[in-house]
Amino acid sequence: MFELRSRWSRVGAQVLATIIVLPFLAALIAMVQGSFAGQGWGNYLKVFNTGVVPTYFLNSAIVAASTIAIVYVITMFAAFGFAKLRIRGKEVWFWLILAALAMPEAVLLTPLFVTASTFDIYNELIAVILPIAALQVPFTILLARGFFEAIPTELMDAGRVDGAGTFRVFWYIVLPLTRPIAGAIVVLTLLNAWNAYLLPMLMLNDPDKQVVTLLPSFFMSQYTNDQTGVLAAAVITAVPVIVAYLLLQRSFERGLSAGALK
Amino acid sequence: MTANIVRTPRRPGKRIGLGAGMPWILPALILVFGMIYFSIGFTGYVSTLDWNGFILSPSENVGGDNYVAMFQDPIFWTALWHTAVFFVVTFTIQTAIGFSFAALLHSKIHLAPLYKVIIFIPTVLAPATMAPVFRSIFDADGQFNWLLDHVGLGALARPWLAEGATAMPVVMAVTVWQWTGLTFILFYAAMSQIDPQILEAARVDGASNFRMLRSIIWPLCSGTTLALATLGVIGALKTFDVPYLITKAGPNHATEFLGTYIYQTMVQEKHFGYAAAISVALLVIAIGGGVLMRVRLHKKEV
Repeated sequence: MFELRSRWSRVGAQVLATIIVLPFLAALIAMVQGSFAGQGWGNYLKVFNTGVVPTYFLNSAIVAASTIAIVYVITMFAAFGFAKLRIRGKEVWFWLILAALAMPEAVLLTPLFVTASTFDIYNELIAVILPIAALQVPFTILLARGFFEAIPTELMDAGRVDGAGTFRVFWYIVLPLTRPIAGAIVVLTLLNAWNAYLLPMLMLNDPDKQVVTLLPSFFMSQYTNDQTGVLAAAVITAVPVIVAYLLLQRSFERGLSAGALK
Repeated sequence: MTANIVRTPRRPGKRIGLGAGMPWILPALILVFGMIYFSIGFTGYVSTLDWNGFILSPSENVGGDNYVAMFQDPIFWTALWHTAVFFVVTFTIQTAIGFSFAALLHSKIHLAPLYKVIIFIPTVLAPATMAPVFRSIFDADGQFNWLLDHVGLGALARPWLAEGATAMPVVMAVTVWQWTGLTFILFYAAMSQIDPQILEAARVDGASNFRMLRSIIWPLCSGTTLALATLGVIGALKTFDVPYLITKAGPNHATEFLGTYIYQTMVQEKHFGYAAAISVALLVIAIGGGVLMRVRLHKKEV
């Protein structure tokens, strides 16, 4: 898009871009390098020897998968309803959902903490899954409604004429058209669920129920001054996310930008 | 009545018999009302109590006392001030870096795909994952001081996290590190949308690259900039993980934010009523900020 004609401006642009990118790279290098300091792979061994790594990953996977499932189903239903069906006071309901969009999770702390301990779902993964899903849904509905509205209603009418019910129209005609937006919803929800820290820290105290973001602090509580082991724990939790991003670069970039622009 | 309002935009041939939509949006309403609106109501109620948060413990209704205490609490105002400064600084730096980097990557430089991946990776990592890394980097004998030593700036070396004056810049730097990739991707996408003919015309008129950036590309990206500002305000109000994990909101409240203050008041001091009052304040600011931004956005569009 820009034409850099002189040689000097080309070199200048290259140098400037490199200078900008270096600090971003440096922290990643510091993480990996620090995790090998001292005992090398021994640091990793120590983290795995705590025995909790598989449990934490499994729990994170359960949290992420359940949150995605809940958010996906609820979002698709609601977006279809808001975009294509008749609802009394539709825009009022829509705005009530939207108003929850800017909600900082700290606002939920008091009631969640009290409710969870009252109904004894403290230390259950569901106590993390439901709030994360609830915080995510307003946004994904906003995102998906716009997408559903762009699907021509004539397509559905054709299905109706052939005698299909609303649900069949939704299932066979509409849903297959929503793959692009579904990708964005899945990626966004995955990242928010996998990277969540505050809610799991508050709701999950039992080491059997904790998730990957709590791994570094768990390790710290076991080996107080072991900086290198903590970094190894950080690398262990970072690698799967980075690999997922590298494999699905376009979906991640699209998902996160869709997330920002609405 | 409401049904009529919904039906008015009906065009012939539209919505043939597609049924009532309420059951379709009901699950969403149950989740949002059950979790979020219930929480707001409950928080509002608790904010009028003096209570330690245990169901069986007695609570005392103190009316607006918690709010009075809040308005007189210097730490509350400090946290609020930090949020504002944090937003202005991180937003400005991220926009400057993200915008320049997007322009650079549109200029056919070498290694562009690699650079893009490097700057974007931080946005997918959890702050909780990176916190130990930054604690180690900015430690008194961490890599940052080591670097300063080796480039002859050893005099600047200090325990960055332990000093009130430098802890907040570190928290901001970590946030910039984490989110500039997103700013960059959005500007990059916005720049791809610009009609090449406009740029060609400007070039024919003799505009320099820098002039084009300032007078054509930056104004055409204003929608993105505003969206990022909204995101930045929401993000600043939500700030918790980074200060909590890297500086413990200290030293001496130097990196206190509303989120960390609510958490500390509630979980450590067990002042549930007071924590709830601060939560309500945070909520009002978040919604007020959202509405303000939306109004500004609309004005801009008109």
